[in-house]
Amino acid sequence: MTLPFPFPREHNWPPFFTPQPNTTTRQDQLRKWSDLIQSWCRHHRQYRLSLIEAVESPLFFNATLRKRLDIREARAVVDWMTKSEEEGGGGRRAEWIPDAGGGLSSGVMGSAQGQGPRAVAWIWWKRPEEWADLLVEWVEGTGQRGSVLTVYELIQGEGTASQEFHGMDTDVMLRSLNVLVKRGKAQIFGGEGQEGVKFF
Amino acid sequence: MFFKALDLTTALRPLLLPDETLLFVQDAVGLYEGVCYVATEDPRKYSVAIDLKEIDRVEYQASFLKSSPKITIHPKPQKNKADKSRSATASPALFQQSALHLAQSLSTLPQSNIPQSSSSPKPVNATWICPICSFSNPLPSNFDPTTASAATHLPPCLACGIKPPFTTVLKAAISAATSRDSPVPPVASPATSHSFPQPGSVALPGPGVSVPCPRCTFVNHPSLTECEICGAPLTSAGSSANANRVDSPAPIFEQSHIANTEVSESIKLSFRAGGEKTFHERLKGALVQRKWLLQNAPPVPPPSQATSSPGLPSGVTAVESPLPSTPRSSGVGIAGLERRGLEARKKNEMVIGNAFEDLGALMASAKQIVALAESLARESGMTSSEGSAEASAVLSESAAALGMVTTKDMLSSGSESLYLSELARDLAEYLTDDRKGILQREGGIMSLIDLWAVFNRSRNGVELASPSDFQKAAELWEKLKLPVRLRRFKSGLLVVQRYDWSDEKTIEKILDWMEELRRIPPEDFVPWDWSLFGRAVTAQEAAHRFKWSVGVASEELEMAEDRGILCREEGIEGLRFWRNYLSVPVSDNLSRLII
Repeated sequence: MTLPFPFPREHNWPPFFTPQPNTTTRQDQLRKWSDLIQSWCRHHRQYRLSLIEAVESPLFFNATLRKRLDIREARAVVDWMTKSEEEGGGGRRAEWIPDAGGGLSSGVMGSAQGQGPRAVAWIWWKRPEEWADLLVEWVEGTGQRGSVLTVYELIQGEGTASQEFHGMDTDVMLRSLNVLVKRGKAQIFGGEGQEGVKFF
Repeated sequence: MFFKALDLTTALRPLLLPDETLLFVQDAVGLYEGVCYVATEDPRKYSVAIDLKEIDRVEYQASFLKSSPKITIHPKPQKNKADKSRSATASPALFQQSALHLAQSLSTLPQSNIPQSSSSPKPVNATWICPICSFSNPLPSNFDPTTASAATHLPPCLACGIKPPFTTVLKAAISAATSRDSPVPPVASPATSHSFPQPGSVALPGPGVSVPCPRCTFVNHPSLTECEICGAPLTSAGSSANANRVDSPAPIFEQSHIANTEVSESIKLSFRAGGEKTFHERLKGALVQRKWLLQNAPPVPPPSQATSSPGLPSGVTAVESPLPSTPRSSGVGIAGLERRGLEARKKNEMVIGNAFEDLGALMASAKQIVALAESLARESGMTSSEGSAEASAVLSESAAALGMVTTKDMLSSGSESLYLSELARDLAEYLTDDRKGILQREGGIMSLIDLWAVFNRSRNGVELASPSDFQKAAELWEKLKLPVRLRRFKSGLLVVQRYDWSDEKTIEKILDWMEELRRIPPEDFVPWDWSLFGRAVTAQEAAHRFKWSVGVASEELEMAEDRGILCREEGIEGLRFWRNYLSVPVSDNLSRLII
């Protein structure tokens, strides 16, 4: 978090902020924005993006150029990201969070509640499936198959400090674990906030 | 050479010599007698022209059952080769087969070739030149070269009063007679070795039945083979044509090339789509008026010259000389000269007066009228438009150049498509004319609306083309294989451009410009990396750089955007265009650090 985010060169280029009418150019533009948003979120360890806040952030607002991707355009970009590549989208790299999703652990993102539909979105710089693969890799690598871990341990425990999913959003962790459950490689038990998980 | 190969203009129309005018245009005409056919695929190869001067007479044949109405044109019998070559250069009137342009010349080019005496069709206008004082005396009216002998009384020279030798007068009489009677074999008289052209006598239309005697000029009945008066052998019109054709090369009928075809007797024009009556009338009118004779005659001096400066010798003698017919009974020395000057002035006045007597005569003096009209138009154009003087000058000049432009009344009624195709040709000529350089000035491309405005203004308010006609004509360019094209931009804007103009060329130019902008540092500070991205351009800048109109420039920029070459930036400054680095990776030959 200490290093400044390395913006791509296009971010310092005025047309980047204007929606392009040409379809091909537009696709390239959206792809570039998608890449930018993902790397931005990854750099800042951010899993959900509130557009209302983001349009004021350096991500969508270039103070030097005094150019801004307005909320409508930002929404269009995220919309594009939510679609699969078959639909001509960005490979499901985002997902709208329905209004007032509960259980927000991050205090920063708390204000995202009640902003209406399509205001906050998951930014999947790694999709839940990819996170699940990472988890399995780590579990097998550390020989913890068959053991029981709490979700808190997975996210905040010392054992995961070197892992990318350390400090992860709880909701994202649960979704990733659910992927494993569906695959039959894990089992979740316990009540809300007290989840434990057993890897097979 | 009845048919001639034509020089065609860029619009595939006959190239008119200076001062030739377009009389009438008719399409769907078939040409008979010979192998002539006109292919639309290769109009340049199959176009032919006919000198009106060489047309002897025309016959009209109404349509009969399935056969289309036809007009038969009888060529004049060829004289000799010297005549042919000269008439080829004179070429006063043109006749194009592909669109059948009938043109009429007012040219004064071949004036030097024409002996003065022959241009006046007066019956007796021979002169003999006094060997003592070289004064040109008129032949006595009762002098007959066939009957005269040395004993015949000869009047003395009017100037010096000395009797001429009999042979001088006889020679003069014979040469005068032969120059008047054209179908004389070349050997008949030494006078024809001067190769007198036919204008004075040949172009008499109508039934050419009477045969004048080559020796005594008595007009004999056509069935006679010998002169009724002097017994000289007669050559009728038909037989003389046959006799002369022996001299000329045999007819060449090359299958693919009709320019060389020697037409034996007549050609027939078949009018498949009607319009033959008007055509016949115009052709006949042109033949009767015989305006190409005017090109041999000196121009009629303007009235101001004749009245304000009566003593001016140049104006006087110019008109006087070709009309030496009036017998000058007296007038010797200075008094005679003065009298002749007076007569000439009277004649001048008469000519000017005649010019306005009827329309046909008015057409004959059309040169002066046209010049006057042009100068008036130029003046009015200068004063009325408060705009740039340059623009109005260009407009009035182009109006002058458009004098030969096809107008609706030149065409047979009801053939809208012909009017449109002619209009299309007019436009193509107008656009590609290097003198005006309409397209060049507009950077090779201009909107149809602008063209319409300029074109109609240049017509000075007459024969304006309606917008719908205009557009239809423009749409015909491609079909007519003309060197300009109509193009519709995405937004629906219609523009006119050269046929070889392509988007690729435009894009190439734009890309060069963009590269240039990456090399030249911008004048003001810019927050972005100009050596990477260059600078944005507006439609105005593009219009200025490529000399386009702003509308065209923005269309071209959007075309480039549409092809992914450019991308746009919308800001408070308006719409600006950049090189599309969204799709194309930024070429970074300086291996710069990412910020």
